[in-house]
Amino acid sequence: MGCGAMMKSVMEVLLLLMLIFTAHAKEKSYSPPEKPTQTRCRSPEKETFTCWWEPGSDGGLPTTYALYYCKENSETVYECPDYHTAGENSCFFNKNDTSIWVNYNISVVATNALGRAFSDPVDIDVVYIVEPNPPEKLTVAVMEDKGWPFLLVSWEPPHKADTRSGWITLIYELRVRLEEEDDWEMHHAGQQKMFNIFSLRSGGKYLVEVRCKPDHGFWSEWSSTSYVNVPDYFHREKSMWILVALFSAFIFLILTWLLHMNSHSLKHCILPPVPGPKIKGFDKQLLKNGNSDEIFSALVVPNFPPASTSKYEEMLVEYLEVYVPEEPELMLESKDLLDGCLKSENSRSDSDSGRGSCDSHTLLMDKCGGTKEEERQTNRESSLMETQGWKEEAINHDTSGRVKTWPSVYSPLPQYGSNPLDKQSSLETAKQHSLSTSSFLTQPGTEDALGPSYTDFCLSNKQNHLHPQMLAHRELQTRSDVNISNIGRKRSPASEYVEVQRVNKEDMVLLQPVVSRCGHIEGCPNLPKGEDYSKVKGVDCDNRLLLQREGTGEDVCPCVDQETNGEGGNCYTSSTVSTTQKPTACMYTAMPLQGETALTLNGYVDSATMGNMPSC
Amino acid sequence: MALKETDSSKLLMAVVCLVSVCSSVPISDLLDRASQGSDKLHALSTTITQDLNSHFPPIGRMIMPRPSMCHTSSLQTPSDKQQALQVSESDLLSLARSLLQAWSDPLLVLSASANTLHHPEQTSISNKIQELQLHSKSLGDGLDILSGKMGPAAQNISLLPFSGRNDIGQDRISQLINFNFLLSCFRRDSHKIDSFLKVLRCRATKTQPQMC
Repeated sequence: MGCGAMMKSVMEVLLLLMLIFTAHAKEKSYSPPEKPTQTRCRSPEKETFTCWWEPGSDGGLPTTYALYYCKENSETVYECPDYHTAGENSCFFNKNDTSIWVNYNISVVATNALGRAFSDPVDIDVVYIVEPNPPEKLTVAVMEDKGWPFLLVSWEPPHKADTRSGWITLIYELRVRLEEEDDWEMHHAGQQKMFNIFSLRSGGKYLVEVRCKPDHGFWSEWSSTSYVNVPDYFHREKSMWILVALFSAFIFLILTWLLHMNSHSLKHCILPPVPGPKIKGFDKQLLKNGNSDEIFSALVVPNFPPASTSKYEEMLVEYLEVYVPEEPELMLESKDLLDGCLKSENSRSDSDSGRGSCDSHTLLMDKCGGTKEEERQTNRESSLMETQGWKEEAINHDTSGRVKTWPSVYSPLPQYGSNPLDKQSSLETAKQHSLSTSSFLTQPGTEDALGPSYTDFCLSNKQNHLHPQMLAHRELQTRSDVNISNIGRKRSPASEYVEVQRVNKEDMVLLQPVVSRCGHIEGCPNLPKGEDYSKVKGVDCDNRLLLQREGTGEDVCPCVDQETNGEGGNCYTSSTVSTTQKPTACMYTAMPLQGETALTLNGYVDSATMGNMPSC
Repeated sequence: MALKETDSSKLLMAVVCLVSVCSSVPISDLLDRASQGSDKLHALSTTITQDLNSHFPPIGRMIMPRPSMCHTSSLQTPSDKQQALQVSESDLLSLARSLLQAWSDPLLVLSASANTLHHPEQTSISNKIQELQLHSKSLGDGLDILSGKMGPAAQNISLLPFSGRNDIGQDRISQLINFNFLLSCFRRDSHKIDSFLKVLRCRATKTQPQMC
């Protein structure tokens, strides 16, 4: 039998006595006490311990409670030494009565007049029931770390717990919250007795509590709350942010102002304005005003084309007045024709009338009649068609006063070699050309430096008219001087004009008499009535105008037909003088017969010949 | 477990260093690690006990053998604080080592019976018993090294033979009861070891009062 059995026997004896007692007791609604229950036993420092019980109903009678225990190795039953220290319904075991690593068997007995009740026995080992007191002397201080506040919490272990000797090892835990909050923030502190709380979010009143636990025991109660006031550091930060915001707003305003000031230049930089067309010397305002004359006169370069005779070599020959007194009737006729058919000379105002264009009827006429001079000769001599006489230069074609730009005219044309020549010399060469027609006729291959006269090709067809040509030659010669000097001047009614037909390869201007447009002249009856212009194909490297040679030599004017009997090269397209004409083609085909030479007097190039010019 | 392994390995290294005339690990550190190991050991045993008690037949409590019947009860250990603080360090260590040594075999028995235990938490218990074994082994090694530093008295180990109760029990109840009893004995002894080592630790770290 052990401690428990002993205790039980004692209880039984006592119970018996009680029963006897109660048996004799007066009938009352009394009952034996209810079984008390042992709630718990605790040791705060592993040196003493306390047990508490919960009494049951006392049965109406005064009930006493007793605690009995015995240790594991002995049979001795001991009663609780101290019922009062720990309060009511408790039993306190002091150091002398406490043994560790020893099992205690504890029972509580409730006794009243009618009976007693035993609680269930409880086995405990002191080392397993350790629950220390809460830590003491909790202090919280507000510290500052780089402008941020934190709490420095420190405490001491419960005074009873002997941690110095290592008898008890305690670990700690603390909790923090703001006064207005409900949730605690827990922090595990281990064995240390101080702790830093950095997790402060705002200023205010903070509550801090701490508790402890032995290494193999129960958590203590929370210590008494420690209050601390944390100042509003965070407001300071807010104000800083406000300052930063204001400053940045200020900077932004300045930037906006700068941007506004420079918006115009920025606009130009980002979105550059589209440049409008500009013509030098062209005043848009004048145009708006509606004075077209003024405008165009503004465009006209003063002194250009040079009206003076000093710049003849740079100018196209407008026309050559050829006066052939021998056949005045022819001249008259032709002149009549010319008068009738020629364009007005309104364009005289413009010395550069673009004469020599393929479209010019005069060119066509030239084709028909060969070179101007020759043609006129031949025309006169052979047929009326041939002798158109000196016609007005194709310059007159632009009766409407159109401006014909002849850029190539203005630039020195090296192949013409006209630059070094003065006008007279060029005229001379022209004369020579005309003169050479005969020689050309005789010697088809003759070519001067300036090339055979443009009349050659026509001449070739007119070999049968040699003689008349010879005559004409002379006349031409005589007249050429006169007429050439009249270049650029108004056409005199009494003179015939020669049109520059083309410029052949050897920079020779091939002149042709200005053929009536009517085209009824024998030889070239179907001279085109259209424009006397030729289409400009382009400008070659040497700033020469390349005129378009169009069509083949199929279209031939009647005179061509006639003349093709000869060398069969004449190909004048008398069909049209428009840009779609093929006068150039005609002429070209004829040209190879006698070679292609173009004499340029003043750099005036026949558009027809232009096309044939060797490209650079 | 890793802690115990590092513990023993560290102690081993300390020994090696000693042998090669290196600067040895201070005793305080060794004791610190040892006490950590013993703490872990006891915590494990407590967990296993709780697992076991979660589904323990009530009758088993009634007929459980008394703790005085533990095979280590013959060893005289201090029964209160005053007594414990009066024991010398070497003796304390010796006691710890003796207790630990006494359990090397019974742990095997425990482990074996855990495999066939009829209990809902059998798997968990079995695993923890295994862990217990490992920890116990490493702690024993560490304490052996410690004993070498603490004087000749520390070398004494009281032999506490285990009365070979290989037959834990034929039926489930007795098996459980015996298992429970053994475990309770071990739990107490592991607590003793832990307490002794922690007292030793505090005594060794007089320069670092914050540890205690």
